Amino acid sequence: MKIQVAIILLEVVLIILALAVYLIATIVHLFRINAGLDVVLASVDEIVAKTAPVNGVLDAINGTLVTARDALEGLHLKKGGPDAAGLVESLFPGEGANFLRRVGKSGKVVNVGTVYTRGVGILASLGRGAPVGAAHTKGPAVRDPKYSTTAASMLYPRPGGARSRPKSPVVGREPAHSPYEAALTPGERPRDPTGRAVEARPQDTSSGQINVEKQPEAAEPAAPAPAPARITSAKGTRPWEQAPPQRPPDTGSGGGAAPPAQPEADAPPAPPTSGRITTAKGTRPWER
Amino acid sequence: MDPDIALWLMVIVLAVVIPILVVLLKGVLQAASSIPPKIDAIAGVAAAASKDLDAVVVLLTTQNYISQITGSVLNYGGSLNVALPDA
Repeated sequence: MKIQVAIILLEVVLIILALAVYLIATIVHLFRINAGLDVVLASVDEIVAKTAPVNGVLDAINGTLVTARDALEGLHLKKGGPDAAGLVESLFPGEGANFLRRVGKSGKVVNVGTVYTRGVGILASLGRGAPVGAAHTKGPAVRDPKYSTTAASMLYPRPGGARSRPKSPVVGREPAHSPYEAALTPGERPRDPTGRAVEARPQDTSSGQINVEKQPEAAEPAAPAPAPARITSAKGTRPWEQAPPQRPPDTGSGGGAAPPAQPEADAPPAPPTSGRITTAKGTRPWER
Repeated sequence: MDPDIALWLMVIVLAVVIPILVVLLKGVLQAASSIPPKIDAIAGVAAAASKDLDAVVVLLTTQNYISQITGSVLNYGGSLNVALPDA
């Protein structure tokens, strides 16, 4: 055999050995990879199984939130009117246009927050229909930082100006709001509604109080014998009630001299007791 | 061609092929041997992810809560609809 043939055979053997060694090692590693992938696949199966209901749950949550959002946006549009998008824009810049698109409206979004303060804008929009656009959106705010409500009230034209609104009545200062209602029974209150004592107040015939002094003056010219009607005590007439007959006749009353003289003649029981007054309350019944 | 020359040429070709073959097989073996560690790492991460997803069940409770909260918010909106005047 030639030497060339022997070398060729040797090289072929070496090639076969190299192929066998490396390929066997590669096969071993591939088996290990296969085993590792089995482990990974089991974990992936768990992940898939656990995340399967997530889509349904999240879709349900999203649907619920979208329903609530639509309802609240509809309410906001209903209550806010044309300023609704501006209110949304003032709170969430850039969302005003999206709000209009969602509610199916179109138009220019005016940021209400640049015109009013937040609270005044909302209250004015909800209560009175705020005149959005009273000032330019890029200009200074139409509000007084010190008197914000006054600035808002000045936006609404009124005859005579915003300051001409009637003030609210003060309870207790006007007769219609008197804290005391008319008494059903005559009596005397220690203080009047103004807080003053009743004694310090001048006599008022229209107050409904019983005025003992005025009644005989009004009835004196016409009633010749007022003494029996003035006896209000069981102990008899009082000294000051007996004084008028003792006084000289009053000519200035217009009633003439005859009426005062008549009680003197018609009152025999009273004069004899004038010297028997021993108490300030007058004669006693047994003394009469 | 002389048969001797042909045999010598074959010897030379085989001598060149053998190292090339060895280099190529060694590269394949290295590539194959680098995969199992990565597979092991992926298996560990997958197991941890699968364990973390145990909290997904709480989403059902969250869904219930969100439904209740949404109902309350809608009731509040209904009250506002009655209380506030329309624009």
